[in-house]
Amino acid sequence: MKARIFAKAALCVSLLAVSVGSALAADNVKIGMIQPLSGPNSVFGVNCQRGMQLAVDMINEAGGIKSLGGAKLELVPADIPTPNTAAQATQRLISREKVSGIVGHFVSSSTLAASEVTERMKVPLVTFAFADQITERGYKYSFQVTPKGTVFGADQFNYIYDMMKDHGKAPKKIAILYEDTAYGTTQAKGLRAAAQAKGVEIVVDEAYPLGITDANPLINKIRATSPDIVFPVSYFNDALLLIRGMRQQGINIPAVGGAAGYVINDFRKGLGEYCEGILSVASSNQDLAPKDFVDRFEKQYGVMPTHDAISHAVAVDVMAKAIEKAGSADPKKIRDALAETNTCDGIASAIPGKCVVFDKNGLNTKTFPILVQWRGERLVTVYPKDVATSEPVLPQ
Amino acid sequence: MLAFIQSLLDGILLGGIYGVISIGLSLVFGVLGIVNFAQAQFMMLGMYAAWFAWDSLGLDPILGVPLTGAVIFIIGYAIEKLLLQPVLKAPPVAQIFLTVGLMILLENAVLLIFGSSFKSVVVSYQQSGLKIFGLFISVPYLFAFSAAVIVCIALWLFLSKTWFGRAIRATAQDENAAVLCGVNVKQVYALTFAVGVALTAIGGAVILPYMTVSPTVGGQFAILMFTVVVLGGLGNVAGALVGGLVVGVIQSLSAMVLPVQLQNLILFMVFIGILAFKPEGLLKEA
Repeated sequence: MKARIFAKAALCVSLLAVSVGSALAADNVKIGMIQPLSGPNSVFGVNCQRGMQLAVDMINEAGGIKSLGGAKLELVPADIPTPNTAAQATQRLISREKVSGIVGHFVSSSTLAASEVTERMKVPLVTFAFADQITERGYKYSFQVTPKGTVFGADQFNYIYDMMKDHGKAPKKIAILYEDTAYGTTQAKGLRAAAQAKGVEIVVDEAYPLGITDANPLINKIRATSPDIVFPVSYFNDALLLIRGMRQQGINIPAVGGAAGYVINDFRKGLGEYCEGILSVASSNQDLAPKDFVDRFEKQYGVMPTHDAISHAVAVDVMAKAIEKAGSADPKKIRDALAETNTCDGIASAIPGKCVVFDKNGLNTKTFPILVQWRGERLVTVYPKDVATSEPVLPQ
Repeated sequence: MLAFIQSLLDGILLGGIYGVISIGLSLVFGVLGIVNFAQAQFMMLGMYAAWFAWDSLGLDPILGVPLTGAVIFIIGYAIEKLLLQPVLKAPPVAQIFLTVGLMILLENAVLLIFGSSFKSVVVSYQQSGLKIFGLFISVPYLFAFSAAVIVCIALWLFLSKTWFGRAIRATAQDENAAVLCGVNVKQVYALTFAVGVALTAIGGAVILPYMTVSPTVGGQFAILMFTVVVLGGLGNVAGALVGGLVVGVIQSLSAMVLPVQLQNLILFMVFIGILAFKPEGLLKEA
């Protein structure tokens, strides 16, 4: 009997302790993370997750959200392997997990599907995805820290064109190969327009399905037309198939990739020495990001942070700063604070141009694409000149 | 003209692989009467087995074919004994649920064990190609094709020259008659399924030098496999090989004149056309 009373008393005390404990600490602010954590694009999703988690850890260690009494940020992940699962997963994050905002998705078409839900349910979405439509629909709750896809495409062409022109051998004919979802088609559109504006002939302009298993038909077209430069816009598998296929057939035409598959560590692992010197556009790069972030990322995960991880960390930081400014976990107030974002410090400064300021459509007006090149196990920034950390090694 | 021959050649090299991964599906249907929706996942398992052998033992995926085949053979044998045997006489709906369930199970089990990232191997001949009379032959494609041909010849010898091969064919023709002649048909079913999935797994292993593997890679091949098998004639082993070559060549040639995006559109138009005139497939019952 005595033992039972004691047990009850102990239970009461511990319950009391629990309730006091939770009253003292401020509630966590939940941020939804939508990424492809399984399926064909998971190699990117895992990268993005690492960057986002590290940003959250660093913000929490620096004292969390001070205007909310030091509340900690908490990432709530949702796996979105394909665009058709995006709406449902996003809805679940908002209605069941009650997230204050959402960051992601790596894939443009999934981001577009998710943004329909965030707009309807009035929860802010900060994304890294490139597709032009994201900021062209007049949506109030979508914000994009990176440049638009057509801008990426245009600069993918213009940067290398200018560089080669400086060396007296401007390209005369080029090939464009792109995957046929939102990301590839918008970026190819920018590329095409830029090439036409410079009067450069496009000898191959070919879309291919994302799940392509044999790139030989594309390679045959390249060989038949022998362009000066190939511009592939691909995710990962297709990037490997294209570059391997070209090298197998002894085609040494330089390739300038369109970010995604060309700037991740697995790309280098898959190609080995053939990776050296390959150029690509990117939304950010390790040699332009704050050193403490890059060092810690490498220590924690054993690999160099690539642009997807860095730019997603930027997105998290922008979201955190808006929560700080709003002093609230209410999605609508955070949205209003996001619209007035003007930040040039912290992890957000990792983005080229160093600053994030959104226009009325939610597009970051301060940033621009950069051109990066593989050197051994690292990617270095080679263009534009004012931010470059290395001289480009130009294709011969 | 050279471009045409080049595309034809690429299509044949590709089609040989389609053939070898599809033969297993056809064999299982022809003997067990089951449509194995999880067949493509065994190809994925084969790719992982080959990758694992390369990663831990340094074994080339093509030289590792016997090992990959043996591992998947054992897994296939166990699955048939434990899961398929009970539903062999059950209504087709139960069989479909079982193999579709197996497909989901295998994909997710591999996802748990190996994670979702892409795995690829690095071998010396990966980026090399041959040039003969102005035609390019990619070395990894050539090796994969040669391995596929050798495996097909081995299967043919097994089915036609060995006692067990004859038992398999006898069971496919008439189960009751086979039983009367002293064939242990339960054993035949288990072995056929094991051989069938091992063949598909080998097809996966030999393409690893130019493909990457992830838990969902099977999905990219599943529809092609069913197309190949139906085109060649359901349950017809030689038909699967012919079907594979036809599909590979159509895909490759259509890309010459039309955008690559449309290559499967052409494929399915030809497919529907062939079925309209020859509903039993290209080759009749073997």
